[in-house]
Amino acid sequence: MAEFPHGGPSASFRRTRLVALHTLGEALRLRLTALLGMIGAAVVVGALALREFNFGSAELKFIGDFGLGAIGGFGTLLAALATAQLFFSEIQGRAAYCVLTRPVRRWEYMAGKFIGVAGLLALFTVAMGLLIAALLAVRAAQLEGAVVGWTALACACAMQWLKVTLVAGMTLVVCSYAGSALFASGAGLILAVVAHLRSFVGEGGRFGWIKVWPNLALFDAESVLAATHPPSASLLLGCAGYWAVYALVFIGIASYVFEQREF
Amino acid sequence: MNGRARQEWAVELIGFGKSYRAGWSAKSLTAVESLTLRLASGQVLGLLGPNGSGKSTTLKALAGLLRPERGEVLVYGHPAGSLAARALVGYLPELPQFPAHLTGREFLLYCAGLSSLKQDRTLARIEQTLEWGGLRDAGPRRLGTYSKGMLQRLGLAQAILHDPALVLLDEPASGLDPAGRLALNRLIRDLAAQGKAIVFSSHLLAQAEQLCDQLAILGRGRLLVAGSPADLLGSARVESPEPSRLEQLYLEKMGSHG
Repeated sequence: MAEFPHGGPSASFRRTRLVALHTLGEALRLRLTALLGMIGAAVVVGALALREFNFGSAELKFIGDFGLGAIGGFGTLLAALATAQLFFSEIQGRAAYCVLTRPVRRWEYMAGKFIGVAGLLALFTVAMGLLIAALLAVRAAQLEGAVVGWTALACACAMQWLKVTLVAGMTLVVCSYAGSALFASGAGLILAVVAHLRSFVGEGGRFGWIKVWPNLALFDAESVLAATHPPSASLLLGCAGYWAVYALVFIGIASYVFEQREF
Repeated sequence: MNGRARQEWAVELIGFGKSYRAGWSAKSLTAVESLTLRLASGQVLGLLGPNGSGKSTTLKALAGLLRPERGEVLVYGHPAGSLAARALVGYLPELPQFPAHLTGREFLLYCAGLSSLKQDRTLARIEQTLEWGGLRDAGPRRLGTYSKGMLQRLGLAQAILHDPALVLLDEPASGLDPAGRLALNRLIRDLAAQGKAIVFSSHLLAQAEQLCDQLAILGRGRLLVAGSPADLLGSARVESPEPSRLEQLYLEKMGSHG
């Protein structure tokens, strides 16, 4: 018989951590992860070849912008596709039944899935960020008087991570009621596009209600990199708080819907 | 089976009913209708019936994977699906597929952690269940290399890993070779002798007749007949089921072949 109490915060934390580590381990072995990682890295390195087309911007800024765009773009794809694939591979293979018939609460399972994917996206962002940093360091050494804002770059990468993890959260909400990975990843990507375009919605009007949806333009990493000074602590904390609220809301909704789900 | 205090029953299905929505239409399909069954600790219940008769639905309701639409489903007095009930249950789904990147041992370690098994006991218990499933040598291998029968045996191992009081097995003999089936039969009888309640579904009538203290035959979601083999067939269950002559020959050849 099981020796630990099944209730209580420490037991919940332990089970959530187990599901998260399991999800991360599975995510790292996905071919999708390797594919998007390699394409993303190729695009970042490709910035060197495209620097002649920088439309007059400083070269280092162009490389940084291009790299951060790659993190955002491929990170969004990875967030939506990996979340859906990891969720449905367990459901369709019935391995999830072996988890959900144990004393594991549905919210622990969903929170574990979210944290596992967030871990994958953190590794993706760090790896791509290091690649951008290496390129910037090489070019800065070749160009006279060029200075790289390392703190700004680190903050910009962190903002990209906050953005793509929210895309994972949106996709998890869809997964909680969807019947297939294809639908869930497609819907997750559409919701991410809506969240990117949300800042263009004016006050009031027919689409005013869209404002409840998170505004991913707030995590605009390029503007962070373009600024002469690193972003203020209050801006970073504000973004982190905004992210935390929406992350909790998404996990909460996904858990509630998944709680109603039958197999 | 009457006259016992409620908490003494390992399993109680009281007027259990469940329907499924048929696609987008408002029509619903009745999976189980007003099913009442009780099972005490140390007993084996076999759910028999054709495909679509409600066997898996009944097992899933006991495991807490779906909620009863009508009636009550209780596990040792706790509503099925509650945290307290799930702590007492071990469940083998039908034809499970496990994460291919994990080894057999790693998968059982993951399951043990989710069942809150103490770490010092976990490793010994994992070795014990791998040994039972004949998977000791395959323990360090990735699950992607396992055969269907090996996955089924691993599924059985995870279902009994945490020493549950109620073991629910959906088509446990599926994919098993004759040696695996005999080992499964022995395991079910051993678990019952340890005082555990076992509910399994099967299409193998001979296996059910040999193993079960209680039989329930379902048809289109309705209970057609239930009772002990003695009540239903007029003869008591065979205590030590012997392999058939063909099984004996098969096992002999397998033994001589290594």
